[in-house]
Amino acid sequence: MVAGGRAQFDGVTLRGVTESTPPSNFVSDVLAPKFEELTGIRVEIETTSWDQMYDKAIKDMEAGTGIYDMVYLEQDIVYAYLARDFLVDVTAALQEHPDLQAPGYDEANFTTFADNFRGENGGLYGTPMEAFIKVYLYRTDLFEDEEIRAAFQEQTGRELEPAKTHEEYAEIAEFFTRWGQEHDLDLWGTTAQAHTGHPASWYEYFESVAPTYGVYDWGIKPDQNYAASVENGGEMNSDEAKAAMTWWLSMRDLAPPESVQSTWTEVATTFAAGRAAQGLVYGENAAWIATDDSQSRVVGEVGVAMPPLEDGVMEDAESGEGYIGYYDGGAFGMPVTSNNQDAALLFMQFMALPEVQEDWAIAGSRITLNSTYDAPRVQEVDAELGGYYTMLRDDGRLFKGAPEYPFHRQLIEATAPIFYQILTGDLEPGEGLDQMAAKSEEELTSLGYRTN
Amino acid sequence: MQSNKLGWFLLAPTLVVLFFFGVIPFFYVVWLAFHQWNPFAVNPEIVFNGAANFRQLVFDQGFLASLGVTIAFVFFAVTTELIIGYALAQAFMRDFPGKAFFRTIHTLPLIMAPIIVGSIWKLMTTPSIGIIPQFLDNWFGYDLNIGQSALAAFTVTVIMDVWHWTPLVTLTMIAALVSLPPDPFEQAQIDGANKRQIFWHITLPMIRPAILATVFIRLMDALRTVDEVLMLTGGGPGSATRYLGVHIFKEVFPKTNYGYGSAVSVIVLYLTIVVCWLLFVALIAPRNKKG
Repeated sequence: MVAGGRAQFDGVTLRGVTESTPPSNFVSDVLAPKFEELTGIRVEIETTSWDQMYDKAIKDMEAGTGIYDMVYLEQDIVYAYLARDFLVDVTAALQEHPDLQAPGYDEANFTTFADNFRGENGGLYGTPMEAFIKVYLYRTDLFEDEEIRAAFQEQTGRELEPAKTHEEYAEIAEFFTRWGQEHDLDLWGTTAQAHTGHPASWYEYFESVAPTYGVYDWGIKPDQNYAASVENGGEMNSDEAKAAMTWWLSMRDLAPPESVQSTWTEVATTFAAGRAAQGLVYGENAAWIATDDSQSRVVGEVGVAMPPLEDGVMEDAESGEGYIGYYDGGAFGMPVTSNNQDAALLFMQFMALPEVQEDWAIAGSRITLNSTYDAPRVQEVDAELGGYYTMLRDDGRLFKGAPEYPFHRQLIEATAPIFYQILTGDLEPGEGLDQMAAKSEEELTSLGYRTN
Repeated sequence: MQSNKLGWFLLAPTLVVLFFFGVIPFFYVVWLAFHQWNPFAVNPEIVFNGAANFRQLVFDQGFLASLGVTIAFVFFAVTTELIIGYALAQAFMRDFPGKAFFRTIHTLPLIMAPIIVGSIWKLMTTPSIGIIPQFLDNWFGYDLNIGQSALAAFTVTVIMDVWHWTPLVTLTMIAALVSLPPDPFEQAQIDGANKRQIFWHITLPMIRPAILATVFIRLMDALRTVDEVLMLTGGGPGSATRYLGVHIFKEVFPKTNYGYGSAVSVIVLYLTIVVCWLLFVALIAPRNKKG
């Protein structure tokens, strides 16, 4: 692994900062000690909250302090970091230092998700370490229960199957919420990532719900001077966006009461606790929900399906003009200010070696190498999970990460207070989205992306 | 002369630390407040923009709303802490079984980091799993959901602050009460004063400096509350608990609006100084004048 011998890296400690997620925790708990055992290079990974992760990484890179040798690059922030030249081009660095090339590391083995981390020159600016889609999970034990199926058939006149449209999804959600009430169960019809003070709710709406109504890239049109309002050519306040918001709010009202305080983590916990019959859940949690009985009450009772869609959305996704949901993930990138770039390059390659992928795929429901799909345990869990990994491989192309904007957090924070007012009912969805579109254009003008 | 030199020598490390970690950052923030700087803007450079940030601030509905809820939060939290803190101090002045134990237990919240306090209260107030909504529902049929009700969220943040910081008030009140001379109280009793009269005319005036010092400390702390509230509500629902500290945090860090965020910070510091000065003028100055 260390081509130049260990002496070169004596006493080196790599420091990284990342969000505390199942894949990141695997890096910290398993890969870092294993790497130290192999190379003698100590790796300290700070796993912290999403907000803190960004805060620490940006301050370090902005001030050029060189505290971190690796920072977590969520797919949606990479464009902002690239715009500021914060990161090292890993492809170029390895070409310049072939002695640091690890045997077994092959950039060509990455799934197409890695393309999200490439610069304009095609170079890779991070090692993909998590990649998942936000999937529609449903409880197979409930969906296959004869008594429930009969009751559903009687009430709706159709078979109980995972929903393909929003109307079907709503019908199922209403049915199960009522079923829970009638049978005195802690059971609701759907999950909702609807925190009233955290951008997780903003993300759920704009990245998972609005696209299923045909509103893509947050409803902002970069080719139309970054317009957000319909008046200027955007779609943030379009009829489709308003219909999506109205539908989502009605689903929120059928979700467990903790949903108004739920981020992505709590949504997974809610589903794992058996409190929801169906829901849109970040795929990074799918495997542990379906297989880990120390954390989940629904082990072996989880099915996976495509999100419900409006007419025309699947056609858009197939043609590449749209997408049906959120493809999230992240990479470890190296700040140009890192003081241990050679050692960091080694660790970043280590994370991409085929031999460390199998356990990681199970622990974090993530796959970043094509070869991992064939691993025996991955195939085993895939069957238990109703084909989640197969869906990731075959249909991942229909999902999309965040749009290529360098102003993600700035725009979100500017519009989030209005968004929260929609959630609390202080603003009607239509009025709220109108205000958000106007605020977006104002913020983008202030940042210099939009010109008057 | 010798002792002066020794004094400065001993003070030097503190002054150096204060200079680098207090004075320089302070002037840096003041300097930034007169600039536009967002590293993720098309122009990421720092550009002088005069008083534009302050002008923007005056018309910023978000800031003004934040200022309003912060004033309400500070008023209710600090007042409640003073009342309960004084009552507890009086209780701890008396002997009762288990006094040492209760006194120790009662100070425990003080040693907790604010982020931990926020986490604990989040666990306790999350609907369906939290102990507080559970009992409120069982006993009173009240459905507490701080993610939905602005009033409930505001009230819970006040209670959380009171839970966390009342012990500090109690300790300072105990220190003040213990240091009071017995003579005036004995004289008053001989003159036939009742408890209320003794409290109003003797105890309160004599511990007024301690009360004022406590109010200053708590006021400044409450005005810059961030961690606990961010963890508990994230500033929501809506902007119901987006106190100034949270507002500044969101402007400066996620939004990376460093110039404007600095301007808000400077104004908040100015307001804090003004409020403390007004309190001083109202409570201490008249007393000194009489003296």
